Amino acid sequence: MITLQTPIDQREIEELKVGDQIEIEGTIYCGRDAVLPKLVRLIENHDLDSIGVNLEGAVIFHTAVSPAGIGPTSSNKVEIEGSIPALSKAGVKIHVGKGALSPKTVEELKRYHSVFAITPPVSALFSDKIVSQRIAAFREEGMEALYQIEVKGFPAIIAIAHGETIFASPRGG
Amino acid sequence: MLCRKEIEDAVETCLVKAGTTFRPDQLRAYRNAISAEKNENAKWVLERILENAKLAGKNTSPLCDDTGIPHVFINMGSSLSLPHDWLSAINDGIIRGLRIMPGRPMAVRGNPIERVEQSRGLYADPGKLSLAPVIVKPGKGGKLKITVLLLGGGPEIRAKTYRVFHQRSIDVVLGEAVRWASSEAKNLGCTPCVPAIGIGRTHVEASALMLEAMKEGSLSRQNRWEKKVTELINATKVGPLGLGGDTTALGTFMKIGPLRASGIRVVSMRPGCCFEPRKAAVVLG
Repeated sequence: MITLQTPIDQREIEELKVGDQIEIEGTIYCGRDAVLPKLVRLIENHDLDSIGVNLEGAVIFHTAVSPAGIGPTSSNKVEIEGSIPALSKAGVKIHVGKGALSPKTVEELKRYHSVFAITPPVSALFSDKIVSQRIAAFREEGMEALYQIEVKGFPAIIAIAHGETIFASPRGG
Repeated sequence: MLCRKEIEDAVETCLVKAGTTFRPDQLRAYRNAISAEKNENAKWVLERILENAKLAGKNTSPLCDDTGIPHVFINMGSSLSLPHDWLSAINDGIIRGLRIMPGRPMAVRGNPIERVEQSRGLYADPGKLSLAPVIVKPGKGGKLKITVLLLGGGPEIRAKTYRVFHQRSIDVVLGEAVRWASSEAKNLGCTPCVPAIGIGRTHVEASALMLEAMKEGSLSRQNRWEKKVTELINATKVGPLGLGGDTTALGTFMKIGPLRASGIRVVSMRPGCCFEPRKAAVVLG
């Protein structure tokens, strides 16, 4: 088990391999279909500072946040997978979700020195890992707002790193 | 005659139980899979799912943050007396269950177009997540059997209802369903899956049969065709979360309805996620 503290350093990413089990300590941003494209638009407009979010060395978890808990949504949905290149370029080091990603995204992750990790949808267990949570931006999206959570020992497995993928034939052939 | 409150309370209890607990057949299937699984990462995932189920059951908290869309299946006995507002009692029981569990507040606000575009945001009240159309079938004597099922969003992305040219062969029909399930397993992400398959005359009927297969199915009671489908999907070695290993599917539920003279069968296949089918039933009367 490899423990990673946010913000995550580039050297730590370089040492990760597909199949590594990791535990994340620190800050995780949570967002999904509704909010990730909005975040990308802020990056493109050089306006990320307007919401006080720093993505350098960041972890983004593809999830809603609600009284029902947190858990990975399918990362291969258009608006989520489509956000991965721009977010990686802006400094996100680990994207956490579930499901196979396309060969194009595998290449984009490699290009921007970022990795994709997967985690089971174990919401009852995750509730024990969350120390605190707050809405970081886009409150109007409800459970799909951008949340910032503090975690201890958040578990995941590296699925895509440095052009390698556990999904031998991405998209299921 | 059953009273309204009895129905409403039973539905509320079923919804919470469906969303927060594993049934004995699920617990047994996971223990067997953990014993048999040789891939260490796959085994780790299966163990976490089982640990999660124990914690959710103990705390009465959701198994998964996607608490699903509520579906209700009714088996109504022919000599049953029901209050005139029995359907609204079921609806109110669903609302109460969603507020108590709690369900995820994911109902979309606005007029039809605004709902499609999700332009007016979401309701904060989990009880606003309205019940899917209720299916009613004949039941026994004076009994009312209510089954509440919670259907998560991941499998909805990967499900398919389409015609299959059967060529007078069950192997051809199920082979096509296996191809659909196998190609979607790694995109689903939350494997091991439990595919549900309905075979009928129309798309509506095949989908209803698929739901009925989920309602009736047990992972401890699998017929030869269900076992065969599971074996073929497991041969893909997608494994839990797509990590590889022997446990891509825990089992399969299949229901074949009345069929018509035709060269096609309409097949509905939904690759239920690692917590599904989330269901609970009660018999009243």
